[in-house]
Amino acid sequence: MIMKKDLSINFLGVHCENPFFLSSSPVCNNAEMISKAFDAGWAGIFYKTVGINGMDECSPRFDITTKEDTPWIGFKNMEQISEWSLEQNVEEIKKLKKNYPNKVIGVSIMGSNEEEWITLAKAITEAGADMLELNFSCPQMTSHAMGSDVGQNPELVRKYTKAVVDHTHLPVVAKMTPNISKMEDPAIAAVQGGAHGISAINTIKSVSKIDLDHLTGLPVVNGKSAISGYSGNAVKPIALRFITQLAQCEQLKTVQLSGIGGIETWQDALEFILLGCRNVQVTTSVMQYGYRIVEDMINGLSHFMDERGVDNLEDMVGLAVNNIIPAEELDRSYKIIPAIHLEKCIGCGRCYVSCYDGAHQAIAWNSETRKPEILIDHCVGCHLCLNVCPVFDCITPGEVIFKDGRDNNRNGEDIVKQLVYQ
Amino acid sequence: MVQKLVVEYEPELIEGFDFRRAMEEASRCLLCEDPPCSKGCPSGTDPGKFIRSIRFRNVNGAAETIRTSNILGASCSLICPQERLCEQECSRCGIDRPIQIGKLQQFAMEYERKLNKTYLSKKDTYAGKRVACIGAGPASLSCAAELAKQGVQVTIFDEHPKPGGMLRYAIPPYRLPDAVIDQDIHQLEKLGVKFRLNDKVTTKELGKMKEEYDNIFVGIGMWQSKMLTIPGADLPGVVTAIEFLSRAREAHGKMPSLGNVVIVGGGDVAMDCAATCKMLGAASIYDIFIETIEGAPAVQKEKEYVFKLGVPLISEFKPVEFIGQSRVERVKFEHMSNGSILEIAADTVILAVGQTMQSEAASWRDSGDIFSGGDMVNGGDTVVRAVKEGKEAAVKMMESFTRR
Ligand SMILES: Cc1cc2nc3c(=O)[nH]c(=O)nc-3n(C[C@H](O)[C@H](O)[C@H](O)COP(=O)(O)O)c2cc1C
Ligand code: SF4
Ligand code: SF4
Ligand code: SF4
Repeated sequence: MIMKKDLSINFLGVHCENPFFLSSSPVCNNAEMISKAFDAGWAGIFYKTVGINGMDECSPRFDITTKEDTPWIGFKNMEQISEWSLEQNVEEIKKLKKNYPNKVIGVSIMGSNEEEWITLAKAITEAGADMLELNFSCPQMTSHAMGSDVGQNPELVRKYTKAVVDHTHLPVVAKMTPNISKMEDPAIAAVQGGAHGISAINTIKSVSKIDLDHLTGLPVVNGKSAISGYSGNAVKPIALRFITQLAQCEQLKTVQLSGIGGIETWQDALEFILLGCRNVQVTTSVMQYGYRIVEDMINGLSHFMDERGVDNLEDMVGLAVNNIIPAEELDRSYKIIPAIHLEKCIGCGRCYVSCYDGAHQAIAWNSETRKPEILIDHCVGCHLCLNVCPVFDCITPGEVIFKDGRDNNRNGEDIVKQLVYQ
Repeated sequence: MVQKLVVEYEPELIEGFDFRRAMEEASRCLLCEDPPCSKGCPSGTDPGKFIRSIRFRNVNGAAETIRTSNILGASCSLICPQERLCEQECSRCGIDRPIQIGKLQQFAMEYERKLNKTYLSKKDTYAGKRVACIGAGPASLSCAAELAKQGVQVTIFDEHPKPGGMLRYAIPPYRLPDAVIDQDIHQLEKLGVKFRLNDKVTTKELGKMKEEYDNIFVGIGMWQSKMLTIPGADLPGVVTAIEFLSRAREAHGKMPSLGNVVIVGGGDVAMDCAATCKMLGAASIYDIFIETIEGAPAVQKEKEYVFKLGVPLISEFKPVEFIGQSRVERVKFEHMSNGSILEIAADTVILAVGQTMQSEAASWRDSGDIFSGGDMVNGGDTVVRAVKEGKEAAVKMMESFTRR
């Protein structure tokens, strides 16, 4: 592809050629596959979580959720950490560092007690990694001394982070679990333990669907299934919410963020960056489509920066953080009546059905001409109709009506311009 | 990859959508308010409703909707000219192209067949009433089903060995395989409808039947082919379309060599003949008609299909003479306006210039004390229109039962 801007960014003192990393998972299990990923354009990785011993995994271990004909809306996995031993993984990491000195080798690790964490930290540091990621977040470990059970306990997070930080000179990132209502608590604990960065999210505990024949969840393993982690595009809104809260947290202002969860396109990645991430990580979409998707991430982001006249990726980090405000502070002084462009309308009646059944009975339907008409007095400006109309730009934001005496001296046109619907 | 054109004359089944493809297509559907597609279906098969069922993963519900209003739902899915019925009305035409309604209907009907489902049930509203339906074609079958659902004891009479009428004997199997016709017929059997086949009803017998049954429905179609009154029309080698198609179907496509074929006619039947000849291995085929290409009455899809099979369609020529000694050897055509003359060698000439009723049918139809419907009443139209007329006749019949 032709357009390629300098997308480099510094993350935790390490120069990264772009912000796109593979997140710890089977997309970075060994040196051979990771070499292909580097050649495709990924700037770095977080190597599949290394433990002291290899894991014993089940088969099958994945399931997908689907809406209409779109598969992979979300992805469920029942996999734990690396199937290989520490020694085997150390060899792989050495090989990678030798062959790709300019790529960033982050390595995810997970122990079940302080001693194991220290052993892992030392071994991986010696192997030549560029940074460490502490996996406090895998939701399907067979041991409760590991994974998200640890990540939900700020005390353990602090203790293990400190143990690692004391035994490495590398930057340390703590990876958070979303299976918690307030992620700031373990994140702050990690920072107190000495972590330099926070990454989020790992997968969300889930039961993806029930198999109606076997009467258990999917995937079915010898007639049974287990609660386990959900990822992919469906989880992106939840990941963005956690990132927003981390980015807005006063006690976390000193740490850098790495965003994970449902990233498929440069736009998804940019959303995380605008919410304060200097680095983004991807798994599920790579499992679905392969390493090549990074080409369009690099190219797409380059075009965007070119169009907006942005020269440094750095300049966009966090631009949206302060525009997400508490619900009580939202401007509630006006409503925007939608405008239906009848010359585009194909007469499907979807706006009418949704407004009647799911909003405010504010669209009149002429069954002869098959055309809708907004009843301004009933319309509350919720814009449900805009979201259901199947024709591009057929319904757009129209007249702004201020509630009685609440115009705040602004004009409607400017307000409408702020709305972008796709 | 180049898409391959299927040219098997008698396939076991016609490839349809799998679940994913069906869902893909159902997701394109806009799920319209008061769906225009449903209004476009003569028999009220309600595509708007059955597509919505597919979209919400209720294929049973979809099949049930189709069956409730169209006893020939499986056959219609394959042979309806959707492009000038439901699909023509589709709102999605305003965006790009219509929903492939026929394909979705086929999908739901295949589900029914594969799982051997039964959706229709019998009430006993008119238990004890007896009706005879003459002709086992679409109109009769539809009338019979409607009556049987309300408990009427129906017997269908037909001169052919198998039920289905034109479905079975005129429409070629590459468009409508036997298995699909059987599937539809099976629904009638499950409703308790009885068939008396190889039984040609005469006018005299009809008189007797009027005593025996509470009511009679006649739907005997238009089996008489129109002929051309030009020199040589009676030469051996000149056959009518229906005769040709039904012989081919009965012989499972194993016919004596056709040689060079000339087909006269621009309707759907002519297109069926052209494709059949191709599949049966004719040496050459020309389809010639008096209309313009656009004006020829066949649906666009069929014209394109025949063209893709490599059959030249020649427009605006009318036949003026069949030439030959003991058999037809050549056909002479004249241009409709510019005087050009065209002569084409032909070992077989197929006339697809329309159908008409058998002689007694008109008197039956007009006799007043019986009901009728289908081609013999509407002058020759679609199967789905015959379904509609059969249903309407059944409703009127049942009203008459109530009045008595
Ligand atoms: C099959 C699979 C295995 C995973 N294994 C690990 C792991 O070993 N360590 C870890 O920190 N996260 C693991 N994850 C979580 C991912 O790294 C990532 O945090 C999560 O999937 C969300 O990102 P995504 O939506 O781009 O997949 C795994 C995810 C999947 C799908
Ligand atoms: S904005 Fe809401 S209330 Fe107004 S017409 Fe649209 S759906 Fe109805
Ligand atoms: S949803 Fe859009 S296209 Fe459909 S009737 Fe409403 S305005 Fe017209
Ligand atoms: S008209 Fe077309 S888009 Fe609308 S419900 Fe029918 S098939 Fe779907």
